[in-house]
Amino acid sequence: MSYKERSIWVSLAITVYIWVNYFSQIYISAADGSLTVEIVKGLLLEVIIMTLTLEIALQIVLAIIDNKDANYADDERDKLITLLGSKYAYYVLSFTAVTAVIHLLFPVLTSSLSSNLNLPNEYAVIHIIIFGALVAEVTKFAVQAFYYRKGF
Amino acid sequence: MAKRIVNNIRRLRFDHDELTQKMLADAVGVSRQTIVAIEKDKYSPSLEVAFKIADFFNVPIDSVFQYK
Repeated sequence: MSYKERSIWVSLAITVYIWVNYFSQIYISAADGSLTVEIVKGLLLEVIIMTLTLEIALQIVLAIIDNKDANYADDERDKLITLLGSKYAYYVLSFTAVTAVIHLLFPVLTSSLSSNLNLPNEYAVIHIIIFGALVAEVTKFAVQAFYYRKGF
Repeated sequence: MAKRIVNNIRRLRFDHDELTQKMLADAVGVSRQTIVAIEKDKYSPSLEVAFKIADFFNVPIDSVFQYK
């Protein structure tokens, strides 16, 4: 497995771990009715700090383990795989944008989301966007990992 | 059966004093993993890289890559 491929798997694992943790805490708080704006802000801050810390620490470890390949710039195959990952992530983000707009234009369609979260409507929109961005990010890493493994 | 691009890079490396994948990768400006993928027919390189490989081995491009 190449350095690039390892790096993608690490980023995928970090993203899934941190955001599953975030949404499970949101779900638990929403279920017992204790979800507040302050809790959401705290969890988002935690996500940012954990993402930066884990990405930097684990990418440094990877670079130390595979120091020969760590400094190589992306070649044509890497760039093509990156583009493929970004293409599928773009589809997910586009769908997310449409969903967020529909939520704002027709709040009745997603009223259960707002009432379950028990937060101001803008936080429901924020979570639609965050969730879509998360799925897009996971899609990007998963597509890249797939093409590195399978080839094309 | 659909045609696909195959190559003789492994044999050409062997014929050139068992040239390593790393040395070939450095010579044509790609990563070793890309050479591995090309040799396994998991990746078809750009024309530029294909010509660079042929040029490196000093053979015509159709001695390196075939479409069959």
